Amino acid sequence: MLRTLCPRRALLSSLNTPRLYSTAPVKPSVQLIGQLRKRTEVSISKAREALTATNNDVDAAFDWLEKDLAASGAKKAAKVADRDAREGFVTISVLSGGAHAPQSNGGGPGTGGLRAALVELNCETDFVARNALFTQLAADIAHTAAFLAEPSDSASLIQSYNLDMLKDAPLLSASDPNSGANTSVGSAIQELIAKVGEKVALARAATVAQPQPPSTAAVGLRLGAYTHGGAGGGLQGRVGGLAILGYRNALLSAPQAEREKLERALARQIVGMGPQTIRKEEGVEGGMALYEQPFSMMGEDATVRQVLDNWAQTHGVSGGDSGVEVIEFLRWTVGESE
Amino acid sequence: MSMLRLAAQRTVASRAICSSTRAVRPLSLLARGRSTAWNASTRTFAPVPLNATFRRGYADASKFSRAKPHMNIGTIGHVDHGKTTLTAAITKVLSDSGDAQFTDYSQIDKAPEEKARGITINSAHVEYESGSRHYGHIDCPGHADYIKNMITGAAQMDGAIIVVSATDGQMPQTREHLLLARQVGIKKLVVFINKVDMVQDPEVLELVDMEMRDLLSTYNFDGENTPIIMGSALAALEGRDDEVGATKIRELVQACDEWLDVPARDLDKPFLMPVEDVFSISGRGTVSTGRVERGIANKGDEVEIVGLGASFKTTLTGIEMFHKELDRGEAGDNMGCLLRGVKREQIKRGQVLIAPGSMKAVKKFQAQIYVLTKDEGGRYTPFMSNYRPQLFLRTADITTSLSFPEGTPDAEERMVMPGDNVEMVCDLVHDVAAEEGSRFTLREGGKTIGTGIVTKVLEHA
Repeated sequence: MLRTLCPRRALLSSLNTPRLYSTAPVKPSVQLIGQLRKRTEVSISKAREALTATNNDVDAAFDWLEKDLAASGAKKAAKVADRDAREGFVTISVLSGGAHAPQSNGGGPGTGGLRAALVELNCETDFVARNALFTQLAADIAHTAAFLAEPSDSASLIQSYNLDMLKDAPLLSASDPNSGANTSVGSAIQELIAKVGEKVALARAATVAQPQPPSTAAVGLRLGAYTHGGAGGGLQGRVGGLAILGYRNALLSAPQAEREKLERALARQIVGMGPQTIRKEEGVEGGMALYEQPFSMMGEDATVRQVLDNWAQTHGVSGGDSGVEVIEFLRWTVGESE
Repeated sequence: MSMLRLAAQRTVASRAICSSTRAVRPLSLLARGRSTAWNASTRTFAPVPLNATFRRGYADASKFSRAKPHMNIGTIGHVDHGKTTLTAAITKVLSDSGDAQFTDYSQIDKAPEEKARGITINSAHVEYESGSRHYGHIDCPGHADYIKNMITGAAQMDGAIIVVSATDGQMPQTREHLLLARQVGIKKLVVFINKVDMVQDPEVLELVDMEMRDLLSTYNFDGENTPIIMGSALAALEGRDDEVGATKIRELVQACDEWLDVPARDLDKPFLMPVEDVFSISGRGTVSTGRVERGIANKGDEVEIVGLGASFKTTLTGIEMFHKELDRGEAGDNMGCLLRGVKREQIKRGQVLIAPGSMKAVKKFQAQIYVLTKDEGGRYTPFMSNYRPQLFLRTADITTSLSFPEGTPDAEERMVMPGDNVEMVCDLVHDVAAEEGSRFTLREGGKTIGTGIVTKVLEHA
């Protein structure tokens, strides 16, 4: 509202008094405004302000904007805070997919352990969600969360991550991990608000961090991830799911392609069929328990449980204990949290 | 409207003879402006015939007139740049000349709550007239929402107004706005640069103009010639500063009239009648009945029968409607066609009668499909490639397989979830007459699970 009111007041006063709007010391050059906008995508009024403040020096204005963006974003953020932001994406970053994770997975240190994050970043319209500025920021935040995640002693492997902590953390680039952090997650969000003029909000974040298991461990953990309904590439979509699988060690030597196929199928099954629990539980309908569902994502009519057992058998573990289990899963849909 | 009303009352007073049924213009314009929902508040004066000197009869104003070509237009823009204000301003300015019913901000903005009728629709409908056209105006709230509206036929834009605020200039997401327009086949746009009363420097306006033209060209619109109107929707709405307000709104409407192309009317398109039923009438021959989808057919015209393996020509020897003979049938008519030398077995439901050569039977096409959510009565679960539902296109009911377009990565593993908008390839068991833009529904086990629109024909029969 501020923006609507002020200029009108200015207009009104200029009607009553002689027109004296050359109060600005330097008139910002339009060419420079254009240049500045090409470099930063800020609004025209912001670009003008920057150039006025820096005496038409583009580089200085660029620096000025860099400093100002978070602040003006914060102002804008306060203004739009009450609005509904129900669009956006769930973004998953997997830094380490678990035991025997392939190096090509973007592995990095900690190969063999688990390291991943799921974040939901919201905005008001899907036009903004589809914009590269938004998708990149979402990817970077997921990357940052996965990077920061710490193993905990808690019983569950998937932990919700404190949003305030995440907002204060330096933002790491997912596409260029070597570039240093220039800004915090929180200010990056505010900068985006300043640019797109919509409410952008970090709704929730969850992380998985599990160190490499000791060599004595009998079970290796691996991760399956899938997102559905994204605008571009990457693990980004309107629905996202993570599945953590435990394999008996013997199964870890099963062909990697086979294993990954199973992991992806499980993650897809979770996203597509929306189970509530892994096993049949009281108060949960049969179709809502993952193991009871037909494993349609593997192209099977048999239940997930049966397919997992058959799979283990095919790859050399039969009878008695099941060779492969889903230990935990998480499924998020954009806009469902409150 | 108000001026007319005054004029009318004066007429009533001076002549004391006038009857008029005054009806409020329908606020909602349903499916592509073809049908209107009447919500008439009627007030009757002394019952005397309408006087011919009446400049513009009230009955005219209350009735959907087809005299002007109809066009669907939409506003696209950033949430704060004043789309709704502009829409309200257009109706306000045009209502001054009796060409619209003023639809205020709150009436337009509350539209998203209007969700009903099977598929959830999320768009406001407003209508107005210019000197030469009738416009159905929709707001485009989001990409996915619009695509869904377009596929289902609930709302459609034949042209669009991009709204940009002069204070901000184009935003990063303006690119996404233009991409949407491209994707849904809009070839021409008009740009409205709003809030110019808040910018004192004319050079800044030039910059906004220049940047916008650049961007339009980048996305393959005619950046050079696209009309860009600069004004203030709020000023027009509040009735102040006419030179940036009302005048500019009129300029904008005029630019739409002149620059945006009216889509071909159904009546002007080549004849097409889907075959609903076939009868054999002894002594006369074979009669096929159906509702004419588009075009005009005259008795004696040559027609082609296409689809379900057939393709042959014959002559329309008679047209019948309500048990009466006609010389001519046109779009919208439910009629029977007597076909020369055609045996009953040669023609069946699902085929079409068309002006020869105007359409071909297709076997395989690419389509944009919206998959209904379970709340809309659709599937509960996702489906994968090679799913085989029934495809209903006009009167045809054909099994189809759905797969992902060639080159889709991981097509084997891809799934389609309820609520998705997705581009897929339909491979039909039998051929059917179709072309780009043909709409169809997908059904399975007696319930509609999706709806689609043909985007590309891949294989003719």
